[in-house]
Amino acid sequence: MSRVDINNVWKIYEGDVEAVQDLNFFIEDGEFLAVLGPSGCGKSTTLRMIAGLEDITRGEILFDGKVVNNFSPSERNLALAFESYALYARLNVHENIAFPMRAKGMSRAEADKKVMWIADILNVTDILKKKPGSLSGGHKQRVNLCRALVRQPNITLLDEPISHMDVRVRANMRARIRRLHDELKLTTIYVTHDQEEAVSLADRVAVMNHAKLQQIGTVDEIWNHPANKFVATFVGEPEMNFIAGRIENKRKVSVNTKNGKSIFPFDGQVDERSVGSEITVGVRPQQVRLSMTGNGNDGIPGVVDLTQFQGESVIVTVILDDQEKTEVKAVIDTDWLPEPGEKVLLEMAPETIHLFDGEMPILK
Amino acid sequence: MAGVKLQNVTKKYGNKLAVDNLSFEYREGEFFSIIGPAGAGKTTILKMIAGIESVTSGKIFFDDYEVNALSARERNVAMAFETYNLYSHLSVYENISFPLRAPERHEKLSKDEEKRRVEEVADFLGIKRLLGRKPVQLSGGEKQRVSLARAMVRRCECFLLDEPIAHLDARLKFSTQTALKRLSVKLGTAIIYVTHDYREALGLSDRIAVLRKGKFEQIGTPREIYNQPATDFVANFIGDPPCNLIDGTLATRNGNTLFQSGNEFSIPLQNKSIAAAQKIKAADQDGEIRLGIRPSRIKVSKERTTEHSFKLPIYAIVRRPEGAIITFELDKCFFRASVKGPEQYGMSEKVWLDFDQEHSFFFKKTVKISK
Repeated sequence: MSRVDINNVWKIYEGDVEAVQDLNFFIEDGEFLAVLGPSGCGKSTTLRMIAGLEDITRGEILFDGKVVNNFSPSERNLALAFESYALYARLNVHENIAFPMRAKGMSRAEADKKVMWIADILNVTDILKKKPGSLSGGHKQRVNLCRALVRQPNITLLDEPISHMDVRVRANMRARIRRLHDELKLTTIYVTHDQEEAVSLADRVAVMNHAKLQQIGTVDEIWNHPANKFVATFVGEPEMNFIAGRIENKRKVSVNTKNGKSIFPFDGQVDERSVGSEITVGVRPQQVRLSMTGNGNDGIPGVVDLTQFQGESVIVTVILDDQEKTEVKAVIDTDWLPEPGEKVLLEMAPETIHLFDGEMPILK
Repeated sequence: MAGVKLQNVTKKYGNKLAVDNLSFEYREGEFFSIIGPAGAGKTTILKMIAGIESVTSGKIFFDDYEVNALSARERNVAMAFETYNLYSHLSVYENISFPLRAPERHEKLSKDEEKRRVEEVADFLGIKRLLGRKPVQLSGGEKQRVSLARAMVRRCECFLLDEPIAHLDARLKFSTQTALKRLSVKLGTAIIYVTHDYREALGLSDRIAVLRKGKFEQIGTPREIYNQPATDFVANFIGDPPCNLIDGTLATRNGNTLFQSGNEFSIPLQNKSIAAAQKIKAADQDGEIRLGIRPSRIKVSKERTTEHSFKLPIYAIVRRPEGAIITFELDKCFFRASVKGPEQYGMSEKVWLDFDQEHSFFFKKTVKISK
């Protein structure tokens, strides 16, 4: 059992620098949680407080219902792997992985067995005899992961553990980390600035910005119902498009164009009081539909500015014929490659429409 | 306006071969990228075109004029590098306009023309609001764009851009790429662009040359490079998740030709694939051939779909916002399938797989695959 509760946790550094403000969330036993945010958002500080490497200024952290604020890192029985890998330069890879277990009094034979087991899972068997100095950054990170995971800890804390790896190795490592988590039924907290990494690995994602939790939820929740404009923009690549619009009635929004108005129905409804107000329509590039002529529906006319082939898809930049000449990106299949200068219509399905009043979503 | 041509160009540093008998011809108005891993020789090629490095043998032409003997200054090319050396005591405006004032340039611009030129390029690259600042007041990404603007403000024979946006974060990279592409269309000047990022190359280029250890593995349009990779190196270098590469042998069972990898993996080949596979096998000594297939070309389902379907357990699943990437494990490698839609799978679940052989490749083994 290893559930973690973070209750009203603050971290305030000298000079009143609030690195983490009133954080509240929990991690369930067996869960894979990603803490995602830009650099300086407080995500690593949060991880370090959970690890016991950083004092908590206010609030409580609980492991399985027990307050651990005053526990040392070793008393918390955690595994830690950080981006900056502190491997012992004079020990070889095998000894580096075995060291924490031997230090706790495990027999050599048993420690060796465990080293071989984790080395096989993380594919470092062929470098066990090497010294850290001769390893690539990616290899060092893997060794670091081995050392963290070999003890089968209560909670595994990973801070950007695979950011230095080559794309091809990284694809394998993601699969290995997720497999390891599922197979060993670990409870994992994974800190990253890379939204793709968070989305691909985690069951739930906690998005932080400016020392505050912005939203915590499953990937689907974050993707489909972002809590504010920051989350909507930070998760997803290319980022969400925003177009100025006006609420027509409780179920329809309009965008003004040169030729008049394009009207789009949306799923759900907005408050009666919003009707008539100027708002922002958000739509993800992956969900924008482009066509030459439209399906007789109410598309927004625009002109293709440029196209960028990406292999599996094409990113099309369209300049809309609305009042602001809004630039919109659409990710489309590769079987149609519109030419720059071509006229297109942009359409949005009801379920893909997000509506924001300032920073906040208004769709219910 | 120049076409650039390399004819059998070789560069050696001592005994070390950096560029190995390369030839290519730049076509007027195109956006030409050179991609490859670190150490492949990309920057050396640019430096030889610019005249900063001499060639060991071979010829470089601008249009039909051989430039081997010309100095860097006489060649009149503009370069932007990954590292930005801005003048710290000058404002952004002065940094960008600096090349326009250099005495050896032939452009004698009036103050107004200079201002228009600087503002135009700054506008394209989204740094117009920074023109009054000093370099110390800029972020790394902003500095990189200023450095790019300084190169592209000139009217010259050719722009040589060496990883000019490598330090930008993903989002800024994307918008700067967009700006760069627009600028290239507008100026029509030759651009040779070096990068290690295949997405940049695919999105920006008219043609791409894939460089490996000083030699081109393939030159082609982005679609050709992606859809018809010439070698396993090209297939492996381009795409995320990368193209699957599976080593195996050809076997015959009940009159069918199979591609077999270890004990757990064999697929019956269609006629077209057999011919392609046998051609590779004939050229190789140890009898092993390499199957390449992109993750999007492997279909995963709970039910059997064709007679060629086969079953494997799922090693791990990672999510995508709309779908997932499923990893399968073989003896010597992993391979991946990307799935769209809501169907849910679990770890270790056995599922049916279908390889789209119309979009499979067979290669000689030339790169090492890590598991």
